[in-house]
Amino acid sequence: MVKQLRIALAGNANVGKSVIFNQLTGLNQIVGNWPGKTVERAEGTLHFEGYTIRIIDLPGIYSLSTFSMEEIVSRDYIATEKPDVIINVVDASMLERNLYFTLQLLELDPPIILDLNQIDFAAKKGIKIDAEKLSLALGVPVVQTVAITGAGINELLSTVVAVANREKQLQPLKVTYGKEIEKRAQAIEKLVNAKLPQICAVYPARWIAIKLLERDEDVTGKIRNYENGKEVLEYAEKLAGELEKIHGEPSPVIIASERYSLATKIAKAVTTVETPPKISLEQKIDALTTHKVLGYPILAGVLAAMFALIFIGGNFVSAGFDYTFGILTNQTANALSPFLPKIAVDLINKGVLSGIFAGISVALPYIVPFYILLALLEDSGYLPRAAFLMDNLMHKIGLHGKAFIPIMLGYGCNVPACIGCRIMETQRERFLSAFVVVLIPCAARTVVILGLVGRFVGLHAALALYVFDLVLVFVLGRIAFKVLPGEPVGLIMEMPSYKKPSMKNILVKTWSRTRDFVFIAFPIIIAGSLAIVALDITGFTSYIVNGASPLISVWLGLPVLAGIPLIFGILRKELTLILLAELIPLESLTAVQMIVFALVTMIYIPCLATIAALKREFGWKKALAITLIDVGLALLLGGIAYRILSL
Amino acid sequence: MRFRHRRAITEPQIVKDDRETVSLTCLEEGKSGVLAYAHGGCGLVRRLAEMGLTPGVKVKLLRKCPFRGPLEIEVRGTALALGYGVASKIFVKPLRTETNG
Repeated sequence: MVKQLRIALAGNANVGKSVIFNQLTGLNQIVGNWPGKTVERAEGTLHFEGYTIRIIDLPGIYSLSTFSMEEIVSRDYIATEKPDVIINVVDASMLERNLYFTLQLLELDPPIILDLNQIDFAAKKGIKIDAEKLSLALGVPVVQTVAITGAGINELLSTVVAVANREKQLQPLKVTYGKEIEKRAQAIEKLVNAKLPQICAVYPARWIAIKLLERDEDVTGKIRNYENGKEVLEYAEKLAGELEKIHGEPSPVIIASERYSLATKIAKAVTTVETPPKISLEQKIDALTTHKVLGYPILAGVLAAMFALIFIGGNFVSAGFDYTFGILTNQTANALSPFLPKIAVDLINKGVLSGIFAGISVALPYIVPFYILLALLEDSGYLPRAAFLMDNLMHKIGLHGKAFIPIMLGYGCNVPACIGCRIMETQRERFLSAFVVVLIPCAARTVVILGLVGRFVGLHAALALYVFDLVLVFVLGRIAFKVLPGEPVGLIMEMPSYKKPSMKNILVKTWSRTRDFVFIAFPIIIAGSLAIVALDITGFTSYIVNGASPLISVWLGLPVLAGIPLIFGILRKELTLILLAELIPLESLTAVQMIVFALVTMIYIPCLATIAALKREFGWKKALAITLIDVGLALLLGGIAYRILSL
Repeated sequence: MRFRHRRAITEPQIVKDDRETVSLTCLEEGKSGVLAYAHGGCGLVRRLAEMGLTPGVKVKLLRKCPFRGPLEIEVRGTALALGYGVASKIFVKPLRTETNG
């Protein structure tokens, strides 16, 4: 019989948790969403000493309160699913803040192993931690690891097995507070135990008591539904009020302060700091890349290098793919036509096959290198610096520095960029970022802008389009920020130290992201291609084009046939240029027509795959709203541009 | 002083020097201070506390960006970036020299 174990990885962001996860599972992992939530859920399996171990990588968070969906998902998972063991990954160089999270984990009372990670990096900073003493203080096993090299991973796993089999006895530290809090927490705990036995079956009563004292919205909401809930809530509210009167601070702050002072005490007792070493290379790079003047040209340089690499390399590979796939499509057509009717051959060939091929020739050459470079920037620690530098500018559109990251992603592909908006804290911020992100010209739209305007009108015109787009993003972002209800959230972000990234981690990340992209985008690209072929065969295309002709020819001043690429461009933007070239000799277009065509292509909703990503993140209504706004805006601006440029 | 208190200060040792309390944005680069209090919405104050910014903790200002840009601080051995708006709601009592913290 195979023995099964379920374990979870929990810890702060930037502690190397995902590196540990990738070391444990390799490519054997599935990345998806938590049911009903837009929170990433990474799960994997591994085999160790006759055990099949299922691992869940919980989101990187700093606390187990209700600040973000990630925090709620994590604590609910720990309390309700009760995994066999929880590995709490902590950064040895920042023990104090990490222990704050550990103490909260201990309050939930699961079996914990503390993984003291990045001990090499801590040693470099002159920080030494007595693991045995720490283990005694917390009452849980402590294993030291260096995730990037894989050192200590085996010991971590054997400790997991030992804890799961109760071979290692745990006497987890009972987190206690000062007299005033303690007295009240115990009183509430007693009441919770007596009045709410149902909820005590899931969560520890003491944990509930502390959360009630902290005025935790999620726990309060849960308890309100119970029969005796109101009574407990009123009592807890009264005690929390008393506490605030004594301390003159909001109760969550009082409790956080006490937890922190315990974390400080433990951290101080087990840490020895040797004479601070000389300024390290990492610190020098840090000072340079966040410099108030030099930081910006460096940022511009990094981004320019990144995109140059992606576009030049991508074009080269993409052309190769196109050539190969052209031959392949012809051959399949020849091979199939003796056996199947023409309609079926067309559906298979132009619909399914060209859909798959198109997906591959865009996804592989542009998306994969983009993901690799992104993972490199992420793992090295540069992205938070970029966000820091851009914070001021992002505030102008009601967002903060972190929004720069999805916006930057948008220049590669809008699909991951929409999902990337998750790094924003609130739903409002996420939606606002997504609204801005879909206006960013992705790789496919860049192909159209450069291939049409850049090639025939001149690079200055293409550049002007980009500048216009940035202005548009700024103006629309500002309007959306004023229109959407709610308060903007300020930037509070950890700045992790620079680190040498691990190649393995980068490749595993790239692989799982690419797979994620393929799962979202490919079915839609194929279904869309099929739909177009079907429309073409049944003759519906001409109806649509005729119907749209007043808009296309009178309002936008384009040849009527240009309507076809514009309509079908919703499948994939670079298709618009290919279709346009098939229908009309590009040289016959006037410069104004080219600019209007590229402008409309640039602004209207990127593609079906992006709509699908928006739907996944925000639901149908909001996805539809963004789509309609963008299409309307593209037509409006296209018409205006035609009139202004024709003067 | 522009930043007069909107609420009672709790730490007794800080009350004594309450005229010396300044917003974090007024601190000079490289200087440290002891956090007196943060004001603003309950959500913000709570979030700050969870990131380690609790009353009485020592904070060092690492760098400031110009034009009311973000600040980078060091607190509890961690570097944190704070937007200007957030930082202006945090009040500290500046420490005169590095050694007396």
